Amino acid sequence: MRSYLLYLFTGILFVLLQSSVLPLFFSPNWRPNLILILVLYLGLSENLSRALIAGLLLGAIQDSFCGPSLGLYVSVYLVIVLATRVLSEQLNIESPPLLLLLIAGGTLLQNLIVGFYLTILADDSPVLHILLPAIPQQLLTNMFFSTILLFFLLRFQRLFGYRSGLAGLIYQSKHHGT
Amino acid sequence: MGELLRRYRFLWLAIILLLATVILYSYNLRQKTATTFFERAVLTFAAPFQTSIDGIVDSTTGIWGNYLWLVDARKRNLELEQENRQMQSQLRQVQEVSLQNERLRKLLAFVDDLDRPALPAQVIGEDASNWARTIIIDKGTQAGLRNGLPVVAAQGVVGRIIKTAPASSRVLLVTDASSAVAALIQRTRTRGVARGRGDNLSVEYALRNADIQIGDLLVTSGMGGVFPKGLPLGLVESVEKDQFGLFQQVKAAPTIDFSLLEEVMVIVGEDQ
Repeated sequence: MRSYLLYLFTGILFVLLQSSVLPLFFSPNWRPNLILILVLYLGLSENLSRALIAGLLLGAIQDSFCGPSLGLYVSVYLVIVLATRVLSEQLNIESPPLLLLLIAGGTLLQNLIVGFYLTILADDSPVLHILLPAIPQQLLTNMFFSTILLFFLLRFQRLFGYRSGLAGLIYQSKHHGT
Repeated sequence: MGELLRRYRFLWLAIILLLATVILYSYNLRQKTATTFFERAVLTFAAPFQTSIDGIVDSTTGIWGNYLWLVDARKRNLELEQENRQMQSQLRQVQEVSLQNERLRKLLAFVDDLDRPALPAQVIGEDASNWARTIIIDKGTQAGLRNGLPVVAAQGVVGRIIKTAPASSRVLLVTDASSAVAALIQRTRTRGVARGRGDNLSVEYALRNADIQIGDLLVTSGMGGVFPKGLPLGLVESVEKDQFGLFQQVKAAPTIDFSLLEEVMVIVGEDQ
């Protein structure tokens, strides 16, 4: 329960940052999707049921702050959590560049599913004119911010111990001293 | 059968959850104007934080503009006196108030022209995605707002309310891809539908032989019953005609710079 509350609090903090603080400094295309980064982290570090529930909850929170309909990001983050679980069993997620590639993959997948849902289900095809040109900027921004978050996460893990964290990140913390 | 279910448990779970979320999304697509309990709860919970963040940002900007900048100036110019600094600080505060006053006057004058009751509101947040164009304002059902009400600024149409909570509301901007507003070219009265494209608008269904030129003003036509007639939407920035086809491709730049939007007016009543 405590971890759900922590993820809920972090999710609301991130969504407030995304909707109230980051718009002061960045144009929409250069704003990172912090919730996506959090969902990818959940997919890698938590057990399946916890990652799924937290992912769905974070999706609903993001839906409350974007677009007209509830349910879009709930579905998008469900797919992302499931895909991350499948991938994390196949890949060596202890490699930091691979983690960043995973963030890039998550960003692409998110854009793909959002585009698909909005075009097919919502009949909102003009959104592709907004989504597609923004993908390169989204990739760069998400990777840049995830690097910063990863750096802080490793720092905090070192301060508070390694008990509750991503296996790969524990490995990095111990062996690379960051 | 049981063995099959156990073996492909992950796959079944994934399919069932995916179907459930798609059904949830499809259901909510049909209920566009309804604000769900969850959304209302999240917006209600977040509204005080967003208002606080907005206040902190204003204060920080004020401190930066009125104090830190002067500290920096003092370093560069040692003979600047304390009294002079205070005067400058006060002057800047007065200028800020004066600018805000000017913006509100324009807004009020604009609404006076509309001859409809309107409620002023402050923009406290933006959309949390890069593809949707919505803003959050600091007024909600407690102030009498409801879904579908038009929102305007001194320069023209902002959008319409799509979600309401007690102390905040979300406004779908005219530049959002799912926004479509019945419009007409002011000079020639050519009709069309202004659809959002993120940063600009495209005018759909404008007949090929209609006279539309770059720089023409695009205004609301009043059809559809959401926006009053004649409100500025944008200025035509490009016109293209294919060799064939019934319609021409018209793009317009919105009259409002949404990145600088601070105050808006929600039109709450009918024609007086």
